[in-house]
Amino acid sequence: MAFAGRPALAALDLVVEPGEALALVGPSGAGKTTLLRLLNASLAPTSGTVCVDGQRLDELGPRALRAVRARIGFVHQDLALVPNVRVLVNVLSGRLGRQGFLAGVRSLCLPSRAEVARAAAILERVGIGEKLYQRTDSLSGGQRQRVALARALYQGPAALLLDEPVSSVDPARARDLVELVAAISRERGLTLIVSIHDIQLARACFPRLVGLRAGRIAFDAPTGRVTERELAALYSLEGLERVEPAPSA
Amino acid sequence: MSNPRPPPDPARRPFPVTPRVSVAASLLVAGLAAWLALDAPLARLVPESGGLAVAREFFAAALRPALDYEAPVPAGTPHILAQALAAARRTVVFATAAMSVALVLGIALGFLSTSAWWSGELSGGAGPLRRLCARTLGPTVWAAARLVIVVMRSVHELLWAVLFLAAFGLNTAGAVAAIAIPYGGTLAKIFSEMVEEAPRDAAWALRGAGATPLQVFVFGLVPRAAPDMAAYSFYRFECAVRSAAVLGFFGFPTLGYAIAQAFENLHYREVWTYLYALVALVLAIEAWSGALRRRFVA
Repeated sequence: MAFAGRPALAALDLVVEPGEALALVGPSGAGKTTLLRLLNASLAPTSGTVCVDGQRLDELGPRALRAVRARIGFVHQDLALVPNVRVLVNVLSGRLGRQGFLAGVRSLCLPSRAEVARAAAILERVGIGEKLYQRTDSLSGGQRQRVALARALYQGPAALLLDEPVSSVDPARARDLVELVAAISRERGLTLIVSIHDIQLARACFPRLVGLRAGRIAFDAPTGRVTERELAALYSLEGLERVEPAPSA
Repeated sequence: MSNPRPPPDPARRPFPVTPRVSVAASLLVAGLAAWLALDAPLARLVPESGGLAVAREFFAAALRPALDYEAPVPAGTPHILAQALAAARRTVVFATAAMSVALVLGIALGFLSTSAWWSGELSGGAGPLRRLCARTLGPTVWAAARLVIVVMRSVHELLWAVLFLAAFGLNTAGAVAAIAIPYGGTLAKIFSEMVEEAPRDAAWALRGAGATPLQVFVFGLVPRAAPDMAAYSFYRFECAVRSAAVLGFFGFPTLGYAIAQAFENLHYREVWTYLYALVALVLAIEAWSGALRRRFVA
Protein backbone atom coordinates (compact mmCIF):
# COMPACT_ATOMS: atom_id res chain seq x y z
CA MET A 1 0.00 0.00 0.00
CA ALA A 2 1.51 3.31 -1.03
CA PHE A 3 0.47 6.95 -1.07
CA ALA A 4 2.17 9.05 -3.75
CA GLY A 5 4.88 6.44 -4.10
CA ARG A 6 5.68 6.33 -0.41
CA PRO A 7 4.79 2.97 1.03
CA ALA A 8 2.38 3.31 3.97
CA LEU A 9 2.11 -0.42 4.55
CA ALA A 10 4.39 -3.13 3.22
CA ALA A 11 4.88 -6.87 3.48
CA LEU A 12 1.78 -7.11 5.56
CA ASP A 13 0.07 -10.41 6.23
CA LEU A 14 -2.79 -10.42 8.68
CA VAL A 15 -5.57 -12.95 9.24
CA VAL A 16 -8.51 -12.13 11.50
CA GLU A 17 -10.99 -14.85 12.37
CA PRO A 18 -14.72 -14.14 12.74
CA GLY A 19 -15.63 -13.09 16.27
CA GLU A 20 -12.05 -12.28 17.18
CA ALA A 21 -11.11 -9.10 19.06
CA LEU A 22 -7.76 -7.49 18.44
CA ALA A 23 -6.04 -4.18 19.01
CA LEU A 24 -3.74 -2.53 16.49
CA VAL A 25 -1.03 -0.71 18.41
CA GLY A 26 1.86 1.39 17.28
CA PRO A 27 3.11 4.97 17.06
CA SER A 28 1.42 7.67 15.00
CA GLY A 29 2.04 7.22 11.31
CA ALA A 30 2.62 3.49 11.65
CA GLY A 31 -0.23 2.80 9.22
CA LYS A 32 -3.01 1.80 11.61
CA THR A 33 -5.69 3.93 9.95
CA THR A 34 -4.57 2.87 6.48
CA LEU A 35 -4.86 -0.76 7.48
CA LEU A 36 -8.37 -0.25 8.86
CA ARG A 37 -9.44 1.55 5.70
CA LEU A 38 -8.10 -1.33 3.61
CA LEU A 39 -10.11 -3.74 5.72
CA ASN A 40 -13.45 -2.00 5.15
CA ALA A 41 -12.79 -1.52 1.44
CA SER A 42 -12.54 2.26 1.67
CA LEU A 43 -9.11 2.00 0.10
CA ALA A 44 -7.88 -0.42 -2.52
CA PRO A 45 -4.34 -1.72 -2.00
CA THR A 46 -1.75 -0.67 -4.60
CA SER A 47 -0.48 -4.24 -4.47
CA GLY A 48 -1.63 -7.35 -2.69
CA THR A 49 -5.18 -8.42 -1.89
CA VAL A 50 -7.74 -7.98 0.85
CA CYS A 51 -10.25 -10.76 1.47
CA VAL A 52 -13.42 -10.36 3.51
CA ASP A 53 -15.46 -13.49 4.21
CA GLY A 54 -13.36 -15.32 1.63
CA GLN A 55 -14.18 -12.79 -1.11
CA ARG A 56 -11.34 -10.94 -2.78
CA LEU A 57 -12.36 -7.27 -2.68
CA ASP A 58 -10.61 -6.41 -5.93
CA GLU A 59 -12.82 -8.88 -7.78
CA LEU A 60 -16.09 -7.41 -6.55
CA GLY A 61 -18.33 -5.09 -8.54
CA PRO A 62 -19.69 -1.91 -6.94
CA ARG A 63 -22.87 -3.58 -5.71
CA ALA A 64 -21.06 -6.49 -4.06
CA LEU A 65 -18.49 -4.09 -2.63
CA ARG A 66 -21.25 -2.01 -1.07
CA ALA A 67 -22.74 -5.18 0.41
CA VAL A 68 -19.37 -5.97 2.01
CA ARG A 69 -19.07 -2.43 3.36
CA ALA A 70 -22.58 -2.60 4.75
CA ARG A 71 -21.51 -5.56 6.89
CA ILE A 72 -18.56 -3.67 8.40
CA GLY A 73 -19.23 -0.95 10.95
CA PHE A 74 -16.56 1.74 11.14
CA VAL A 75 -16.20 4.35 13.89
CA HIS A 76 -13.95 7.08 12.51
CA GLN A 77 -11.43 8.97 14.57
CA ASP A 78 -13.17 12.26 13.74
CA LEU A 79 -16.58 10.53 14.19
CA ALA A 80 -17.84 11.81 10.79
CA LEU A 81 -21.37 12.55 11.98
CA VAL A 82 -23.73 15.07 10.41
CA PRO A 83 -23.79 17.72 13.16
CA ASN A 84 -26.95 19.63 12.32
CA VAL A 85 -29.48 16.80 12.47
CA ARG A 86 -30.97 14.80 15.31
CA VAL A 87 -29.08 11.91 16.85
CA LEU A 88 -31.80 9.59 15.55
CA VAL A 89 -31.09 10.57 11.93
CA ASN A 90 -27.38 9.91 12.31
CA VAL A 91 -28.08 6.48 13.77
CA LEU A 92 -30.65 5.62 11.10
CA SER A 93 -28.22 6.64 8.34
CA GLY A 94 -26.09 3.64 9.31
CA ARG A 95 -28.46 1.40 7.42
CA LEU A 96 -28.50 3.32 4.13
CA GLY A 97 -26.11 0.77 2.65
CA ARG A 98 -28.77 -1.89 2.94
CA GLN A 99 -31.56 0.21 1.47
CA GLY A 100 -32.49 1.56 -1.92
CA PHE A 101 -32.53 5.32 -2.40
CA LEU A 102 -36.24 5.86 -1.81
CA ALA A 103 -36.35 3.43 1.11
CA GLY A 104 -33.47 5.41 2.61
CA VAL A 105 -35.30 8.72 2.15
CA ARG A 106 -38.39 7.21 3.75
CA SER A 107 -36.60 5.79 6.77
CA LEU A 108 -34.58 8.96 7.45
CA CYS A 109 -37.49 11.35 6.99
CA LEU A 110 -40.35 9.20 8.31
CA PRO A 111 -38.82 6.37 10.34
CA SER A 112 -41.20 3.59 11.25
CA ARG A 113 -41.94 2.82 14.89
CA ALA A 114 -39.84 -0.34 14.67
CA GLU A 115 -36.86 1.58 13.29
CA VAL A 116 -37.07 4.21 16.02
CA ALA A 117 -37.35 1.50 18.65
CA ARG A 118 -34.31 -0.30 17.29
CA ALA A 119 -32.25 2.90 17.17
CA ALA A 120 -33.41 3.79 20.69
CA ALA A 121 -32.44 0.36 22.00
CA ILE A 122 -28.94 0.70 20.57
CA LEU A 123 -28.52 4.20 21.98
CA GLU A 124 -29.70 2.84 25.32
CA ARG A 125 -27.09 0.09 25.08
CA VAL A 126 -24.27 2.57 24.44
CA GLY A 127 -25.49 4.67 27.36
CA ILE A 128 -27.14 7.71 25.75
CA GLY A 129 -30.73 6.54 25.28
CA GLU A 130 -32.12 9.89 26.35
CA LYS A 131 -30.39 11.76 23.51
CA LEU A 132 -32.47 10.22 20.71
CA TYR A 133 -34.17 13.43 19.62
CA GLN A 134 -31.40 15.91 20.42
CA ARG A 135 -29.41 17.68 17.79
CA THR A 136 -26.10 15.91 17.36
CA ASP A 137 -24.00 19.06 17.70
CA SER A 138 -25.51 19.77 21.11
CA LEU A 139 -23.80 16.67 22.55
CA SER A 140 -20.39 16.46 24.22
CA GLY A 141 -17.45 14.80 22.47
CA GLY A 142 -17.87 11.58 24.43
CA GLN A 143 -21.59 11.44 23.69
CA ARG A 144 -21.02 12.09 19.99
CA GLN A 145 -18.55 9.24 19.95
CA ARG A 146 -21.30 6.99 21.26
CA VAL A 147 -23.61 8.22 18.52
CA ALA A 148 -20.98 7.20 15.97
CA LEU A 149 -20.76 3.81 17.67
CA ALA A 150 -24.56 3.49 17.66
CA ARG A 151 -24.63 4.32 13.94
CA ALA A 152 -22.10 1.55 13.27
CA LEU A 153 -24.10 -0.92 15.36
CA TYR A 154 -27.42 0.05 13.77
CA GLN A 155 -25.82 -0.94 10.49
CA GLY A 156 -26.16 -4.54 11.68
CA PRO A 157 -22.48 -5.31 11.05
CA ALA A 158 -20.60 -8.59 11.33
CA ALA A 159 -17.41 -6.71 12.13
CA LEU A 160 -16.69 -3.47 13.93
CA LEU A 161 -13.63 -1.33 13.24
CA LEU A 162 -12.72 1.58 15.51
CA ASP A 163 -10.03 4.06 14.59
CA GLU A 164 -8.33 5.60 17.64
CA PRO A 165 -11.50 5.76 19.75
CA VAL A 166 -9.63 7.14 22.74
CA SER A 167 -7.93 10.12 21.14
CA SER A 168 -10.91 12.44 21.58
CA VAL A 169 -11.89 11.72 25.21
CA ASP A 170 -10.23 11.68 28.62
CA PRO A 171 -8.59 8.45 29.86
CA ALA A 172 -11.39 7.34 32.21
CA ARG A 173 -14.02 7.71 29.49
CA ALA A 174 -11.74 6.07 26.98
CA ARG A 175 -11.51 2.99 29.14
CA ASP A 176 -15.31 2.93 29.62
CA LEU A 177 -15.84 3.16 25.91
CA VAL A 178 -13.34 0.49 24.92
CA GLU A 179 -14.76 -1.87 27.54
CA LEU A 180 -18.27 -1.14 26.28
CA VAL A 181 -17.29 -1.87 22.69
CA ALA A 182 -15.56 -5.09 23.70
CA ALA A 183 -18.60 -6.20 25.71
CA ILE A 184 -21.04 -5.42 22.88
CA SER A 185 -18.86 -7.26 20.38
CA ARG A 186 -18.79 -10.34 22.63
CA GLU A 187 -22.59 -10.21 23.10
CA ARG A 188 -23.22 -10.01 19.39
CA GLY A 189 -20.34 -12.16 18.23
CA LEU A 190 -18.83 -9.29 16.22
CA THR A 191 -15.29 -9.30 14.93
CA LEU A 192 -13.63 -6.31 16.58
CA ILE A 193 -10.53 -4.45 15.43
CA VAL A 194 -9.53 -1.31 17.31
CA SER A 195 -6.54 0.89 16.61
CA ILE A 196 -5.30 2.43 19.77
CA HIS A 197 -2.06 3.92 21.00
CA ASP A 198 -2.72 3.48 24.71
CA ILE A 199 -0.86 0.23 25.25
CA GLN A 200 -2.17 -0.38 28.79
CA LEU A 201 -5.75 -0.13 27.61
CA ALA A 202 -5.05 -2.42 24.67
CA ARG A 203 -3.55 -5.03 26.97
CA ALA A 204 -6.42 -4.81 29.44
CA CYS A 205 -9.23 -5.19 26.91
CA PHE A 206 -7.98 -7.29 23.98
CA PRO A 207 -6.81 -10.89 23.80
CA ARG A 208 -4.66 -10.26 20.71
CA LEU A 209 -2.27 -7.43 19.93
CA VAL A 210 -0.88 -6.51 16.52
CA GLY A 211 2.04 -4.09 16.66
CA LEU A 212 2.52 -1.88 13.61
CA ARG A 213 5.66 0.12 13.07
CA ALA A 214 6.56 2.06 9.94
CA GLY A 215 4.01 0.13 7.90
CA ARG A 216 5.17 -3.34 8.94
CA ILE A 217 3.89 -5.79 11.49
CA ALA A 218 6.35 -5.78 14.39
CA PHE A 219 4.54 -8.47 16.34
CA ASP A 220 1.21 -10.30 16.24
CA ALA A 221 0.53 -12.42 19.29
CA PRO A 222 -1.85 -13.17 22.16
CA THR A 223 -1.64 -10.32 24.62
CA GLY A 224 0.02 -12.39 27.33
CA ARG A 225 2.91 -13.28 25.08
CA VAL A 226 3.83 -9.79 23.95
CA THR A 227 6.97 -8.86 25.89
CA GLU A 228 7.91 -5.52 27.38
CA ARG A 229 10.91 -5.44 25.07
CA GLU A 230 8.73 -5.76 22.01
CA LEU A 231 6.53 -2.93 23.24
CA ALA A 232 9.49 -0.72 24.02
CA ALA A 233 10.93 -1.37 20.58
CA LEU A 234 7.57 -0.59 18.99
CA TYR A 235 7.51 2.93 20.38
CA SER A 236 11.22 3.75 20.35
CA LEU A 237 12.05 6.66 18.08
CA GLU A 238 15.22 5.02 16.86
CA GLY A 239 15.18 3.92 13.26
CA LEU A 240 11.97 5.75 12.47
CA GLU A 241 12.08 8.26 9.66
CA ARG A 242 12.47 11.61 11.30
CA VAL A 243 10.69 14.64 9.97
CA GLU A 244 13.30 17.24 9.16
CA PRO A 245 12.23 20.86 9.39
CA ALA A 246 11.88 22.19 5.87
CA PRO A 247 14.74 24.54 4.97
CA SER A 248 13.43 28.07 4.80
CA ALA A 249 13.96 29.78 1.48
CA MET B 1 21.32 24.27 -9.74
CA SER B 2 22.61 26.85 -7.29
CA ASN B 3 24.38 26.47 -4.02
CA PRO B 4 22.11 26.65 -0.99
CA ARG B 5 22.13 30.28 0.00
CA PRO B 6 22.37 31.32 3.63
CA PRO B 7 19.05 32.65 4.98
CA PRO B 8 18.87 36.39 4.38
CA ASP B 9 19.55 38.68 7.28
CA PRO B 10 16.05 39.65 8.54
CA ALA B 11 17.17 43.22 9.16
CA ARG B 12 18.25 43.63 5.54
CA ARG B 13 15.44 41.71 3.90
CA PRO B 14 13.70 43.79 1.21
CA PHE B 15 9.93 44.33 1.37
CA PRO B 16 8.51 40.83 0.74
CA VAL B 17 6.45 40.65 -2.46
CA THR B 18 4.22 37.74 -1.49
CA PRO B 19 1.34 36.70 -3.76
CA ARG B 20 -1.03 38.40 -1.34
CA VAL B 21 0.80 41.70 -1.65
CA SER B 22 0.90 41.54 -5.44
CA VAL B 23 -2.84 40.74 -5.66
CA ALA B 24 -3.69 43.66 -3.37
CA ALA B 25 -1.41 45.98 -5.36
CA SER B 26 -2.91 44.98 -8.71
CA LEU B 27 -6.44 45.50 -7.38
CA LEU B 28 -5.45 48.98 -6.28
CA VAL B 29 -3.89 49.75 -9.67
CA ALA B 30 -6.97 48.40 -11.50
CA GLY B 31 -9.27 50.59 -9.39
CA LEU B 32 -7.23 53.73 -10.08
CA ALA B 33 -6.95 52.90 -13.78
CA ALA B 34 -10.73 52.50 -14.03
CA TRP B 35 -11.32 55.93 -12.46
CA LEU B 36 -8.81 57.55 -14.81
CA ALA B 37 -10.29 55.76 -17.85
CA LEU B 38 -13.78 56.97 -17.00
CA ASP B 39 -12.57 60.51 -16.52
CA ALA B 40 -15.03 60.87 -13.66
CA PRO B 41 -13.73 63.36 -11.14
CA LEU B 42 -15.69 63.38 -7.90
CA ALA B 43 -16.26 67.11 -8.33
CA ARG B 44 -18.99 66.31 -10.89
CA LEU B 45 -21.07 64.84 -8.08
CA VAL B 46 -21.67 68.37 -6.85
CA PRO B 47 -24.75 69.42 -8.88
CA GLU B 48 -25.16 72.73 -10.63
CA SER B 49 -27.57 75.27 -9.22
CA GLY B 50 -30.70 73.93 -10.99
CA GLY B 51 -29.95 70.35 -10.05
CA LEU B 52 -29.08 71.42 -6.56
CA ALA B 53 -32.55 72.87 -6.09
CA VAL B 54 -34.18 69.66 -7.31
CA ALA B 55 -31.96 67.56 -5.12
CA ARG B 56 -32.71 69.74 -2.13
CA GLU B 57 -36.43 69.49 -2.79
CA PHE B 58 -36.22 65.71 -3.24
CA PHE B 59 -34.26 65.05 -0.07
CA ALA B 60 -36.31 67.54 1.94
CA ALA B 61 -39.34 65.48 0.98
CA ALA B 62 -37.73 62.51 2.73
CA LEU B 63 -38.56 64.16 6.05
CA ARG B 64 -42.19 64.67 5.06
CA PRO B 65 -43.40 61.60 3.17
CA ALA B 66 -46.89 62.08 1.78
CA LEU B 67 -49.73 60.84 3.95
CA ASP B 68 -52.19 61.89 1.28
CA TYR B 69 -51.99 62.44 -2.48
CA GLU B 70 -50.25 65.66 -3.48
CA ALA B 71 -52.74 66.34 -6.27
CA PRO B 72 -56.46 65.67 -6.63
CA VAL B 73 -57.18 62.07 -7.63
CA PRO B 74 -60.28 60.55 -9.24
CA ALA B 75 -63.02 59.65 -6.82
CA GLY B 76 -62.80 56.11 -5.52
CA THR B 77 -58.99 55.97 -5.52
CA PRO B 78 -57.87 54.22 -2.31
CA HIS B 79 -55.91 56.18 0.27
CA ILE B 80 -52.20 56.51 -0.49
CA LEU B 81 -51.21 54.31 2.46
CA ALA B 82 -53.63 51.60 1.32
CA GLN B 83 -52.17 52.02 -2.17
CA ALA B 84 -48.62 51.59 -0.81
CA LEU B 85 -49.64 48.55 1.20
CA ALA B 86 -51.32 46.93 -1.81
CA ALA B 87 -48.28 47.64 -3.99
CA ALA B 88 -46.00 46.17 -1.31
CA ARG B 89 -48.18 43.08 -1.15
CA ARG B 90 -48.05 42.66 -4.94
CA THR B 91 -44.26 43.12 -4.81
CA VAL B 92 -43.97 40.29 -2.32
CA VAL B 93 -46.31 38.10 -4.40
CA PHE B 94 -44.16 38.63 -7.51
CA ALA B 95 -40.98 37.92 -5.55
CA THR B 96 -42.45 34.80 -3.94
CA ALA B 97 -43.68 33.37 -7.23
CA ALA B 98 -40.29 34.06 -8.84
CA MET B 99 -38.32 32.59 -5.93
CA SER B 100 -40.41 29.41 -5.87
CA VAL B 101 -39.51 28.78 -9.50
CA ALA B 102 -35.91 29.89 -8.95
CA LEU B 103 -35.48 27.47 -6.04
CA VAL B 104 -36.65 24.52 -8.13
CA LEU B 105 -34.31 25.57 -10.95
CA GLY B 106 -31.49 26.23 -8.51
CA ILE B 107 -31.75 22.88 -6.78
CA ALA B 108 -32.08 20.90 -10.02
CA LEU B 109 -29.29 22.70 -11.89
CA GLY B 110 -27.20 22.96 -8.74
CA PHE B 111 -27.31 19.19 -8.40
CA LEU B 112 -26.40 18.66 -12.06
CA SER B 113 -23.49 21.09 -11.84
CA THR B 114 -21.96 19.41 -8.79
CA SER B 115 -19.18 16.96 -9.44
CA ALA B 116 -19.51 15.26 -6.06
CA TRP B 117 -22.04 12.60 -7.10
CA TRP B 118 -20.14 11.29 -10.11
CA SER B 119 -16.48 12.19 -9.60
CA GLY B 120 -15.76 8.79 -8.07
CA GLU B 121 -14.42 10.31 -4.89
CA LEU B 122 -17.62 9.41 -3.09
CA SER B 123 -18.54 6.32 -5.05
CA GLY B 124 -15.65 3.91 -4.86
CA GLY B 125 -15.92 0.64 -6.70
CA ALA B 126 -15.10 0.43 -10.36
CA GLY B 127 -17.87 -1.15 -12.39
CA PRO B 128 -18.24 -0.31 -16.09
CA LEU B 129 -21.33 1.83 -15.36
CA ARG B 130 -19.44 3.77 -12.71
CA ARG B 131 -16.56 4.36 -15.10
CA LEU B 132 -18.94 5.58 -17.78
CA CYS B 133 -20.49 7.94 -15.22
CA ALA B 134 -17.16 9.25 -13.97
CA ARG B 135 -15.44 9.65 -17.35
CA THR B 136 -18.16 10.58 -19.83
CA LEU B 137 -21.68 11.05 -18.55
CA GLY B 138 -20.86 13.04 -15.42
CA PRO B 139 -18.52 15.58 -17.02
CA THR B 140 -20.89 16.06 -19.98
CA VAL B 141 -23.92 16.73 -17.79
CA TRP B 142 -21.79 18.91 -15.54
CA ALA B 143 -20.48 21.04 -18.41
CA ALA B 144 -23.94 21.39 -19.98
CA ALA B 145 -25.47 22.44 -16.66
CA ARG B 146 -22.67 24.96 -16.07
CA LEU B 147 -23.24 26.45 -19.52
CA VAL B 148 -26.99 26.80 -18.93
CA ILE B 149 -26.32 28.43 -15.56
CA VAL B 150 -23.88 30.93 -17.06
CA VAL B 151 -26.39 31.94 -19.73
CA MET B 152 -29.15 32.33 -17.12
CA ARG B 153 -26.96 34.42 -14.83
CA SER B 154 -25.16 36.59 -17.33
CA VAL B 155 -28.37 38.30 -18.43
CA HIS B 156 -29.70 40.63 -15.76
CA GLU B 157 -33.34 40.35 -14.68
CA LEU B 158 -34.10 43.77 -16.19
CA LEU B 159 -32.83 42.59 -19.58
CA TRP B 160 -34.87 39.40 -19.32
CA ALA B 161 -37.85 41.62 -18.48
CA VAL B 162 -37.24 43.76 -21.58
CA LEU B 163 -37.02 40.59 -23.68
CA PHE B 164 -40.22 39.10 -22.31
CA LEU B 165 -41.98 42.44 -22.51
CA ALA B 166 -41.12 42.58 -26.22
CA ALA B 167 -42.18 38.98 -26.74
CA PHE B 168 -45.30 38.65 -24.61
CA GLY B 169 -46.32 42.20 -23.70
CA LEU B 170 -47.12 43.22 -20.14
CA ASN B 171 -47.48 39.66 -18.91
CA THR B 172 -47.33 38.65 -15.27
CA ALA B 173 -45.78 35.29 -16.06
CA GLY B 174 -43.11 37.10 -18.07
CA ALA B 175 -42.21 39.26 -15.10
CA VAL B 176 -41.97 36.19 -12.84
CA ALA B 177 -39.81 34.39 -15.38
CA ALA B 178 -37.59 37.46 -15.78
CA ILE B 179 -36.67 37.24 -12.10
CA ALA B 180 -36.77 33.43 -11.81
CA ILE B 181 -34.27 32.75 -14.60
CA PRO B 182 -31.24 34.76 -13.40
CA TYR B 183 -32.05 33.96 -9.78
CA GLY B 184 -32.33 30.25 -10.54
CA GLY B 185 -28.92 30.40 -12.20
CA THR B 186 -27.35 32.24 -9.27
CA LEU B 187 -28.88 29.84 -6.74
CA ALA B 188 -27.65 26.85 -8.78
CA LYS B 189 -24.10 28.21 -8.87
CA ILE B 190 -23.99 29.03 -5.16
CA PHE B 191 -25.77 25.81 -4.09
CA SER B 192 -23.34 23.65 -6.04
CA GLU B 193 -20.35 25.52 -4.58
CA MET B 194 -21.73 25.14 -1.06
CA VAL B 195 -22.22 21.40 -1.51
CA GLU B 196 -18.76 20.97 -3.06
CA GLU B 197 -17.17 22.81 -0.16
CA ALA B 198 -19.16 21.10 2.59
CA PRO B 199 -17.11 18.91 4.95
CA ARG B 200 -16.93 15.40 3.51
CA ASP B 201 -16.24 13.32 6.61
CA ALA B 202 -19.84 12.18 7.06
CA ALA B 203 -20.10 11.46 3.34
CA TRP B 204 -17.04 9.21 3.46
CA ALA B 205 -18.44 7.46 6.53
CA LEU B 206 -21.71 6.70 4.72
CA ARG B 207 -19.74 5.49 1.73
CA GLY B 208 -17.81 3.23 4.04
CA ALA B 209 -21.10 1.82 5.30
CA GLY B 210 -22.13 0.79 1.81
CA ALA B 211 -24.31 3.71 0.75
CA THR B 212 -24.67 4.50 -2.98
CA PRO B 213 -23.16 7.70 -4.37
CA LEU B 214 -26.61 9.29 -4.59
CA GLN B 215 -27.37 8.42 -0.96
CA VAL B 216 -23.97 9.71 0.08
CA PHE B 217 -24.67 12.95 -1.75
CA VAL B 218 -28.15 13.48 -0.37
CA PHE B 219 -27.57 12.36 3.23
CA GLY B 220 -23.86 13.01 3.74
CA LEU B 221 -23.21 16.23 1.85
CA VAL B 222 -26.44 18.17 1.40
CA PRO B 223 -27.29 18.34 5.13
CA ARG B 224 -23.89 19.90 5.81
CA ALA B 225 -24.58 22.62 3.25
CA ALA B 226 -28.29 23.04 4.03
CA PRO B 227 -28.03 25.84 6.65
CA ASP B 228 -25.91 27.96 4.31
CA MET B 229 -28.21 27.18 1.40
CA ALA B 230 -31.24 28.27 3.42
CA ALA B 231 -29.56 31.47 4.60
CA TYR B 232 -28.50 32.33 1.07
CA SER B 233 -32.02 31.64 -0.24
CA PHE B 234 -33.44 34.12 2.26
CA TYR B 235 -30.94 36.71 1.11
CA ARG B 236 -31.93 36.09 -2.50
CA PHE B 237 -35.60 36.43 -1.56
CA GLU B 238 -34.79 39.88 -0.23
CA CYS B 239 -33.06 40.65 -3.54
CA ALA B 240 -36.08 39.30 -5.42
CA VAL B 241 -38.33 41.74 -3.56
CA ARG B 242 -36.11 44.62 -4.70
CA SER B 243 -36.04 43.27 -8.26
CA ALA B 244 -39.80 42.87 -8.29
CA ALA B 245 -40.13 46.45 -7.11
CA VAL B 246 -37.84 47.70 -9.89
CA LEU B 247 -39.81 45.74 -12.51
CA GLY B 248 -42.61 48.16 -11.66
CA PHE B 249 -40.76 50.71 -13.80
CA PHE B 250 -41.81 48.61 -16.81
CA GLY B 251 -45.45 48.83 -15.78
CA PHE B 252 -45.90 45.78 -13.56
CA PRO B 253 -48.10 46.80 -10.60
CA THR B 254 -45.41 46.60 -7.89
CA LEU B 255 -43.97 49.35 -5.72
CA GLY B 256 -41.73 50.45 -8.57
CA TYR B 257 -44.75 51.36 -10.67
CA ALA B 258 -46.08 53.63 -7.93
CA ILE B 259 -42.64 55.17 -7.47
CA ALA B 260 -42.23 55.79 -11.19
CA GLN B 261 -45.63 57.44 -11.46
CA ALA B 262 -45.08 59.68 -8.48
CA PHE B 263 -41.67 60.60 -9.81
CA GLU B 264 -43.02 61.53 -13.23
CA ASN B 265 -45.52 63.84 -11.57
CA LEU B 266 -42.70 65.33 -9.47
CA HIS B 267 -44.60 64.25 -6.35
CA TYR B 268 -41.42 63.67 -4.36
CA ARG B 269 -43.23 63.22 -1.05
CA GLU B 270 -45.28 60.39 -2.57
CA VAL B 271 -42.06 58.85 -3.91
CA TRP B 272 -40.74 58.78 -0.38
CA THR B 273 -43.90 57.18 0.96
CA TYR B 274 -43.42 54.29 -1.45
CA LEU B 275 -39.66 54.14 -0.84
CA TYR B 276 -40.27 53.86 2.88
CA ALA B 277 -42.74 51.07 2.21
CA LEU B 278 -40.00 49.24 0.29
CA VAL B 279 -37.48 49.76 3.09
CA ALA B 280 -40.01 48.54 5.67
CA LEU B 281 -40.66 45.48 3.52
CA VAL B 282 -36.97 44.58 3.26
CA LEU B 283 -36.49 45.15 6.99
CA ALA B 284 -39.48 42.90 7.77
CA ILE B 285 -38.06 40.11 5.59
CA GLU B 286 -34.68 40.46 7.25
CA ALA B 287 -36.23 40.26 10.72
CA TRP B 288 -38.24 37.21 9.68
CA SER B 289 -35.30 35.37 8.11
CA GLY B 290 -33.09 36.27 11.06
CA ALA B 291 -35.64 34.81 13.47
CA LEU B 292 -35.85 31.61 11.42
CA ARG B 293 -32.07 31.34 11.26
CA ARG B 294 -31.72 31.72 15.02
CA ARG B 295 -34.37 29.06 15.46
CA PHE B 296 -32.83 26.50 13.11
CA VAL B 297 -29.16 27.20 12.52
CA ALA B 298 -27.66 28.46 15.77
